[in-house]
Amino acid sequence: MQTLLKILVRYSNFLVFIALEVAAFLLVSLNNAAPRSGMLSTANQFVAWQHEQLSEISGYFSLRSQNEQLAQENAALRNRLCAMDSAQSGMTHYMSAKVVQMTTDKLHNYLTINRGANDSIRVGQGVRNSEGVVGIVRTVGRNYSVVLPVINTRTHISCRFAKNDYIGTLQWSGQDYRYAELADVATHMVVNPGDTIVTSGLSPVFPEGVPVGVVESSVLKEGASYHTIRVRLFTNFKRLKYVEVVQNAHQTELEKLTNGMD
Amino acid sequence: MEWTRQIVRYVIVMVLQVLLFDQLQLWGACHPYVYVLCLLMMPITLPHSVDMLIGALAGLVMDVFCNSLGIHMAACTLLMYVRPYLLGMVVNDKDRLNEEICLRTLGLGAMIQYTVTLVLVHHFAVFMLAAWSWAHIGFVLLETAVSGVVTILLIISYNILKYR
Repeated sequence: MQTLLKILVRYSNFLVFIALEVAAFLLVSLNNAAPRSGMLSTANQFVAWQHEQLSEISGYFSLRSQNEQLAQENAALRNRLCAMDSAQSGMTHYMSAKVVQMTTDKLHNYLTINRGANDSIRVGQGVRNSEGVVGIVRTVGRNYSVVLPVINTRTHISCRFAKNDYIGTLQWSGQDYRYAELADVATHMVVNPGDTIVTSGLSPVFPEGVPVGVVESSVLKEGASYHTIRVRLFTNFKRLKYVEVVQNAHQTELEKLTNGMD
Repeated sequence: MEWTRQIVRYVIVMVLQVLLFDQLQLWGACHPYVYVLCLLMMPITLPHSVDMLIGALAGLVMDVFCNSLGIHMAACTLLMYVRPYLLGMVVNDKDRLNEEICLRTLGLGAMIQYTVTLVLVHHFAVFMLAAWSWAHIGFVLLETAVSGVVTILLIISYNILKYR
């Protein structure tokens, strides 16, 4: 017992070090695996508020381009209103939100928006803007949420070719915020540069046909069974100011159904 | 008195970190974490384990601001664990370590060795944990080099301006 105590005292610093590192790694892996609390992320009230103030200030310097973007968005909304068919009506609801904070040059980029649980935002809802897809809600705080954008190596979004409904998965390689990769497209499929990619509507996250991007290039590697497709994204993440959260009225029901399957 | 000064400096550096250095999106690989300045220059008078706790806490605060729960905490704990051993290696005269760790107490050569080693260890740990795989090792090394150099230059220039 005495020796054990001696050893403990002797190596106490090292033990504290190990304990703290284990705690940190637990946090990292928890964070990698599942959405976390709103408290310990940029969805935290104070952190998000601070970012919001900052974006208010920097907002003055981009008023002109913001106005242009809003005008375009108005037009697009009016078009969408006209095109809305009875099959879709009542199913999806769009909630506008302002981007409070965003990074574009890391491997794991995030953006924070100024809507949270109080605006009935929930984890797993899709986010888009007038240009195309933006990402998926990851963490929800009371008045702010963190969104996993397309340009995060952990994001996977189910997409299809507009021309023939062939399905693939959109991923990001971590290099350039303007481009993403479309995976799981088998070699028998003919892919041409310029083909438009839209969301598949197979998951409740996005409705069908939200614009994603166009095929920039497609390479068929020797012996590979899938195309390597580079997609130029429609969404310009560098100047993202306003987004819309897609709220599917039947999301809970759809999730319950699919979860019951596993 | 000394610790009030340390805390005030920490708050100022954190404000600069969040409002200025986190907003720099230069060359895609430049993410200087200048807040380690406070940890590097903290006096070494506290017990080692308390030092590590302070490091872990400072890391956790940074994590909340960059959505990277645990990553800065792990890196700062490592930094604070290595710190006294490294100081023992670069400094011959241990009596000088009773006050703040800075250019005046260490001298230029030792200060540079000390800063370069710890900043690179910390930055590599942060970027490696953020990538969470060996697949991006090339980018991680580039990120460490670019961001590390910026952080080191800022810390050394702060020291030269303040303590020459």
